[in-house]
Amino acid sequence: MSSQADRSYALRTKKMALSAILAALAMILSYVEAMVPMPVPIPGIKLGLANLVILLAIYRLGFKYALAINCIRIFVTGLLFTGVFGILYSLAGGLLSLLVMYLLYRTEIFSMVGASMAGGVAHNLGQLLTACLIMSNIRLMSYFAVLLFAGMGSGILMGIVAWLVCQRLPHLKI
Amino acid sequence: MIKKADIALFFLLLAAGLVVSFASLSADTGDKVLITVSGETYGTYDLSKDQTIHVSHDGHTNNITIKDGSVSMSYSDCANQVCVHTGAISQTKDSIVCLPNRVMVEIIDSKAGGDVDVISG
Repeated sequence: MSSQADRSYALRTKKMALSAILAALAMILSYVEAMVPMPVPIPGIKLGLANLVILLAIYRLGFKYALAINCIRIFVTGLLFTGVFGILYSLAGGLLSLLVMYLLYRTEIFSMVGASMAGGVAHNLGQLLTACLIMSNIRLMSYFAVLLFAGMGSGILMGIVAWLVCQRLPHLKI
Repeated sequence: MIKKADIALFFLLLAAGLVVSFASLSADTGDKVLITVSGETYGTYDLSKDQTIHVSHDGHTNNITIKDGSVSMSYSDCANQVCVHTGAISQTKDSIVCLPNRVMVEIIDSKAGGDVDVISG
């Protein structure tokens, strides 16, 4: 075998190991977040700490790895803590937000903060649409304004943190 | 770190949020309380008549109290208690939602036909 093939195997192994670490980190952040009380009693308003990891994975590992990390996080934390309904909500929000962030990343005209902001809004929209489907009631959409602003706020915050992390971890580049 | 497109997107989302806010702020005073469970109508009650309604569904219990023209979820056996903390509502734009038990309390205006207001996202 050529040394080039060896190198590509080594790279894949490195990416896989990093994905596993990031998946574990995302799960821990989801858990930590569940323990932080939010000042407003509206479901869906949260920091989105796990989004940090997903954002980093999109920028440093690629879409496939980010998708895998996100799915592992959602299913494992769902099975451990929130149950099947929790998984449904998380999946809808998590996948929509991942898709939006990846598309914005691909356009290359947005920074991490912009992508994260749109991702936060997409996450809340996905969850709200799921709630509408489960409750079979479109009137729930009246929460959308609140959740949109909340998603923007937490998205911007997490985008800034993710950017700072990226600055401090330049060697994470693969 | 912040690019022009970010700022454009920020204002776009802000504008969208404001439009949605104004669309959902068209409040009216209703006169009936509509309780739905799993998307199906459980019952319609008079907002002016003080009473407590016990909703039992799939082994879950919710108590809805109508008092002095406003409605509140006085008890729920759900885990998160978001519905109980919502407090009392009295206008048609308001609703109390208990997602775990799939119970929803809305105020409708029977004179206006009690139609739902549809907001396109």
